[in-house]
Amino acid sequence: MGAHLARRYITETDTEPDPSKKYEFDPQMGFAERKEREMIASQEQMNLAQLPVEQRDYCAHHLLKLMKCKRDNWPNFLACKHERHDWDYCEHQDYVMRMKEYERERRLQLRKKRIEAKAEAA
Amino acid sequence: MRVSYSVRQQQPVNMAGVGFRRLALALSKGKGPGISALLSGCRAASGVSKDSLPGPYPNTPEERAAAAKKYNIRIEDYEPYPDKGEGFGDYPKLPDRSQHERDPWYQWDHPDLRRNWGEPMHWDFDMYIRNRVDTSPSPVSWSTMCKHLFGFIGLMLFLFYVGEKMPSYQPVAAKQYPYSNLYLEKGGDPEKQPEEVKHYEI
Repeated sequence: MGAHLARRYITETDTEPDPSKKYEFDPQMGFAERKEREMIASQEQMNLAQLPVEQRDYCAHHLLKLMKCKRDNWPNFLACKHERHDWDYCEHQDYVMRMKEYERERRLQLRKKRIEAKAEAA
Repeated sequence: MRVSYSVRQQQPVNMAGVGFRRLALALSKGKGPGISALLSGCRAASGVSKDSLPGPYPNTPEERAAAAKKYNIRIEDYEPYPDKGEGFGDYPKLPDRSQHERDPWYQWDHPDLRRNWGEPMHWDFDMYIRNRVDTSPSPVSWSTMCKHLFGFIGLMLFLFYVGEKMPSYQPVAAKQYPYSNLYLEKGGDPEKQPEEVKHYEI
């Protein structure tokens, strides 16, 4: 916990990625073929459901299903267990992907530095 | 008053109104002080009477002794307010100590005010009663209080500065959003074509 902060501000200030900035490497680098993320809910559907902007992510279709289920089963608040789990799991996967993206960027930065150091030494 | 008599015959008039008009006329036309006399009379009815006001500032030792005796104070304790025309007169200048500092176990004549009968009263006595200003010494000195307060504020300012320069965050990439990172939803211009953003699974 916090090791990335120590690297970012103290030890590896040049290579540790900053999430607020755009990552500089080509997303296809090192992959044979990379599947694009698929958005299922349309903008119109999200508008009609009045989703807040921060929830209009790649899991919005699960959220729409959950909201519909909650509405149809009111007042039984225990009803939509499966829908909630689907949405939670999708958000979890989304977060794991973000962790992986961060780690990929970090390692690519380290690799770039390594290659540059080797080129300078040669 | 014959004119008013004829008027009254023609139409009924509110008698109370007539009476008031007569009074007002008498007050405004009369030789005496009139309305102003009434007003000043009202003023005199409120406020303190001359008897309970302080006397003139004592200049001679005899006057001081008389004033001290009047206020039930020993002559060596008697000290009037400086004569700066503020209306204190010969009223004694008592120490600015709140009633809270007085002994709570003593059998006061008035335990709530911690005051004995006939005791001289501070000019601002109402300010120094027990649920108002408290002049008893604080457990910590003023300089220590200042050190603690400004030390804490300074520390917090320093920590906020550090937090501003080095924010804390989770080691994850920025959240990905569809439709070019919600270009339209975040208020982008619908006329322009946004920069296309592609996100990939990993």
